[in-house]
Amino acid sequence: MSAVSAGLTDDELLEALRRAVTARDAVPADFIAAAKQAFAWHNIDAELAQLTYDSRAADHALATRTEAASIRALTFTSDRLTIELEVAQDSLVGQVVPAQAAVITVLPRTGGEAVITADEIGCFSVEPIPAGQFRLRCRTSAGVETMTGWITL
Amino acid sequence: MRDDPSVIALVKRVCDGDHEAWNEIVERYSPLVWSICARYQLSRTDIDDVGQGVWLMLVENIGNLRQPAALPGWLATTTRNECLRILRTASRYDPDGLPTDDLLPPDSGEREVEDDLIEAELNAALRAAFAELGEACHTLLSMLIQDPSPSYAEVSSALGMPVGSIGPTRARCLLQLRRSPHLAVFLPEQAGGIEVKETGR
Repeated sequence: MSAVSAGLTDDELLEALRRAVTARDAVPADFIAAAKQAFAWHNIDAELAQLTYDSRAADHALATRTEAASIRALTFTSDRLTIELEVAQDSLVGQVVPAQAAVITVLPRTGGEAVITADEIGCFSVEPIPAGQFRLRCRTSAGVETMTGWITL
Repeated sequence: MRDDPSVIALVKRVCDGDHEAWNEIVERYSPLVWSICARYQLSRTDIDDVGQGVWLMLVENIGNLRQPAALPGWLATTTRNECLRILRTASRYDPDGLPTDDLLPPDSGEREVEDDLIEAELNAALRAAFAELGEACHTLLSMLIQDPSPSYAEVSSALGMPVGSIGPTRARCLLQLRRSPHLAVFLPEQAGGIEVKETGR
């Protein structure tokens, strides 16, 4: 690489500059804008719950071609909390385990958020089913804060 | 290549919560992410998906980068992995249920991504150096790199500059560009490679 720029004649340097500027101009402005917005996720102060079960992955592991009607189910686990999710007909239903009241925030990747309450046995329902990628933040009444990884349904 | 100190400084500022530094990293390296996606011939929707995935992973993990100077390499590898993930996902759920690998376009592989990375780092340095040139040089070089490149007569009338002074000014501006600290990491360890060229003229 060192030879690249040191050995360049003026014409070659100008050509390299042209390529550099062209490469940047090829990138759409909204692609860059979306990347800048990702900074909103910096330093999220919640314990991360890892995906520990995904019915879809389980189906593939078994190499079965399951019926189209099979229910998608996901489980996220952190040290102190488990969040179980199941896709129902027109909603996403979930439960916080151990069962307890909690505030659930739906965080779509594209921004914005929706707040939902989980009842005293930890049950909640997200309607409608989020269309794009999202994650859930769960804050229990005891103040435990957990965030799932990214979910695509 | 030696480590680029400006990348290290930017990463540190982002870790301290500086949104401007984050924006600068994005400006610098979006073309790298974009060019790798283009290499895998992804649709625009898939490119957006890859981009979001890559930048989210970075913002969540930037504090854990063991070598901040290796950021461009990390971005290239992560982008490539995300591209491959998307291609696999797309073929896995193919309704015909064909073997997935047959549906994947050939992986252009680490080698090409490495080339993309090298070019992207040089490009980013060139743009950074270019952005810091004085206004007169910036205007002249901007005009000279247009496609198709204008004749000196056209440059002369557009910038109100005598035709005879365009060549020398161009040479002076390019010399300023070469001397930019942004390009220092791309120069050979033994100093003077460029100086020799210059005085030999």
